[in-house]
Amino acid sequence: MAQSVIGDVDTAFWGARAASVAELERELARLRRAQSAHAREQGRTIARASVLNLIVYADRELHARRAAESISQLALRHPSRAIVVLADRRAPEGVDAAIEMHCHLPSSDGARLVSYEQILLRARGDSDERLASAVIPLLVPDLPVFVWWTGNPPTSGRLFGQVLALADRLIVDSADFARPQATLPELAELCERAHGRFGVTDLNWTRLTPWRECVTLFFDVPAWRPFLSGVTGVRVGYAVDMDGRDSNPSQALLFLGWLASRLGWRPHEAIAPHEAGGLLFAIERSDARRIMLRARPRFERGLDDGDVSGIRIQAEHDGQLGEFVVKRQPDPRHQTETVIVDGRVRWERTIPMPSPAIVELIGEELAILGSDRTYEDSLQTLVRLA
Amino acid sequence: MATTIVNPLREGLRLARTPEPSTIVIFGGSGDLTQRKLMPALYNLALQRLLPGSFSIVGSARQPLTDDQYRAELHDAVGEHSRTKPLNEEVWKTFAEHLFFVPTPDDHGYDALRERLDHLDVELGTNANRLFYLATPPGSYAAIVKAIGVHGLRGRTGWARIVVEKPFGRDRQSARELTETIHQVFREDEVFRIDHYLGKETVQNILVMRFANGIFEPIWNRQYVDHVQITAAETIGVEERAGYYEQAGAMRDIVQNHLLQLLALVAMEPPAAFDDKAVRDEKVKVLRALRAIRAEDLPDHAVRGQYTHGFIEGVAVPGYREEPGIAKDSRTETYVALKGFVDNWRWEGTPFYMRTGKRLPKRTTEIAIQFRVAPHQLFSREASAGLDPNALVLRIQPDEGVSLKFGAKVPVQGIRIRSVNMDFDYGASFMVDAPDAYETLILDALRGDATLFTRRDEVDQQWAFVDPIIAAWAASPEPPYFYEAGSWGPPEADALIEQDGREWRKA
Repeated sequence: MAQSVIGDVDTAFWGARAASVAELERELARLRRAQSAHAREQGRTIARASVLNLIVYADRELHARRAAESISQLALRHPSRAIVVLADRRAPEGVDAAIEMHCHLPSSDGARLVSYEQILLRARGDSDERLASAVIPLLVPDLPVFVWWTGNPPTSGRLFGQVLALADRLIVDSADFARPQATLPELAELCERAHGRFGVTDLNWTRLTPWRECVTLFFDVPAWRPFLSGVTGVRVGYAVDMDGRDSNPSQALLFLGWLASRLGWRPHEAIAPHEAGGLLFAIERSDARRIMLRARPRFERGLDDGDVSGIRIQAEHDGQLGEFVVKRQPDPRHQTETVIVDGRVRWERTIPMPSPAIVELIGEELAILGSDRTYEDSLQTLVRLA
Repeated sequence: MATTIVNPLREGLRLARTPEPSTIVIFGGSGDLTQRKLMPALYNLALQRLLPGSFSIVGSARQPLTDDQYRAELHDAVGEHSRTKPLNEEVWKTFAEHLFFVPTPDDHGYDALRERLDHLDVELGTNANRLFYLATPPGSYAAIVKAIGVHGLRGRTGWARIVVEKPFGRDRQSARELTETIHQVFREDEVFRIDHYLGKETVQNILVMRFANGIFEPIWNRQYVDHVQITAAETIGVEERAGYYEQAGAMRDIVQNHLLQLLALVAMEPPAAFDDKAVRDEKVKVLRALRAIRAEDLPDHAVRGQYTHGFIEGVAVPGYREEPGIAKDSRTETYVALKGFVDNWRWEGTPFYMRTGKRLPKRTTEIAIQFRVAPHQLFSREASAGLDPNALVLRIQPDEGVSLKFGAKVPVQGIRIRSVNMDFDYGASFMVDAPDAYETLILDALRGDATLFTRRDEVDQQWAFVDPIIAAWAASPEPPYFYEAGSWGPPEADALIEQDGREWRKA
């Protein structure tokens, strides 16, 4: 279906075409008036309350559409002007480079009270050098700019660099990286280069938040905290499909990177691939003892590929053996935390653990402006591990 | 000591509010408050993963119950009263495993309670951190606090705190006595007096609105503010609380705590920090500056009312004196309107009108800051006929939010001005259910953050303000003014504000 959309943009979804930025702004103003008039008949008012600019980059119509739908659901929490850049590089030879503009005020549930403005920039042919010039005049002044780059971020690409120059925060999703082992180091380098000019985050990092919370809570308990300096091994499981292809360990790796960076572990060597698939690292604890970290692919029904499915931390303290386990239940909406000391279960509880949809992850990331040091540290450490 | 080592994993976690591992001990553990509010709040905290990494709840009451009976009883109660439904059985299962009951009919009971708590500390590694919660009728507070002291229920290590429900005393003297009793076992910084209004998001938002924004504070004073109106209107009558209410009345039930707290938050000076000491220091300064109403000024400054038969939302309801459990000649007030002044630099001469009542036409709690009119009338009288003075309204319930009223030109030829509202709706803007006030407050108490709880000196000042009014009314031969259920109070309350050339807002 990708080929079929080269010619036409679905105007029912993306709105009418505008010939210039000025015309597009006029059209948006007209749509806002129509929307207000309609709302007034029902005794409501609609606020135009943008709090951020969001540039979405996608190279497939399907991804662009999904992203646009997610953002429109967030209209109330993060009223925004969304500029969706759809650049299909597989355009046939001979097509003149051009950019087509469309705008729309989607009236989803979320947009009932706040108007959310959606603009599509459809690039034809090789338009990289001209896209940024179309984006800049469309940004609402004085508001932060988020860039959501779907797929692989081409960290050395020209367009990517130009868009990033506008950004306050870059959002990527390493779950979509085709070759995470190559792209994650590039991302780490990008963070270093950003130097506080913009923040970088990864939706896979957002997905890890509840896991990090659970593991942290274990060691809030005074009696169990000392085990943290006596960790003897860590295993992180992540979901793969039945035949084990398309294994993407990014999320599991980020978790290991986080643990290592927080506990001051130093990389020793990467022993990969592990015999059972997945990855195995030897690291040095801060007291120079060598221990093993594993990321293991597992088939789990109901989990998305790459999602962490369980974590097991083994540790010793004072002659006692501790095991700290977080596991997704067969029914993936729950997880169980267990603490076992010397073979006896000391604590167990089940808590809800929904798999958050992209829209929730994005919503969370849009609430943060600036860089996330803990994430960047984890990523740097991970890159040194692997 | 192990507790002094910081958990290195905690850094950078966005969820920073998880309290330390601890045990919460609820006296009145099978009572109404526990079943309706406390346990649903704790369960919802568990659902949101906000409870500590290791945690248990021990309920206690006079009657004998086993752990299993207690769990079954609360299972049903939480299922019915939780704000999230249906009950998540899997979560409940492990939640209930850390739920216990120890009967305390006598001294042996308290000893058994201590043993159970000591055992749980070892088992769960909680370092004897304990939060005691008084959810019993106030008559039992003193006896329970004494028992906590006598039977050594405070752990040897860790922290101990006590949460006390309202009403805190029934006058200044009894409140002081209760504080003294509690101080025999707990230090003041370990005492958490609950005023559940303070747990509401918008109440906390008053502080954020005022002190996180640069544009409000410069005009938040006598020079720009004409007056302030605080309204807490209920549609319900006395319901099942006849016995308590008949003794208390609206003055003790609402004005002494909720309304005066709202007044303090609106009128206070900016605190130096957002912590319990600084915030409460500033609140208590306002309460101290609140001008006492002298007996001879009473008629112009305070009006009490009592509802008679009428209609609420089209349904006929009985008058107060016709309610079951209420004396036929009761003189208890179900409505209070007050005019107060805060005698300080910022507010000199600015009236604070407060009103509360039962069986009013609409359930609403709000604070309205009415600003002065523009100093020079640029536009003709006809043009500005539709213009009211600017008002900033902080709505606390039911629809939490903020609205600002200002004048705008009606879009036609020539100038005509009309008031419009700029509305911010808390629920719609953040699309999250605001947590129940009890969730916020229990979590704060577990974390040791007393900012949203009332301190001894605040309670003392609040009683100091209302005691003389209650005494004067008790001594007066006049009964309260009557108002029909479903009206906005007695006409005398309108006169109270109209004598100053102002009127109550259409809430």
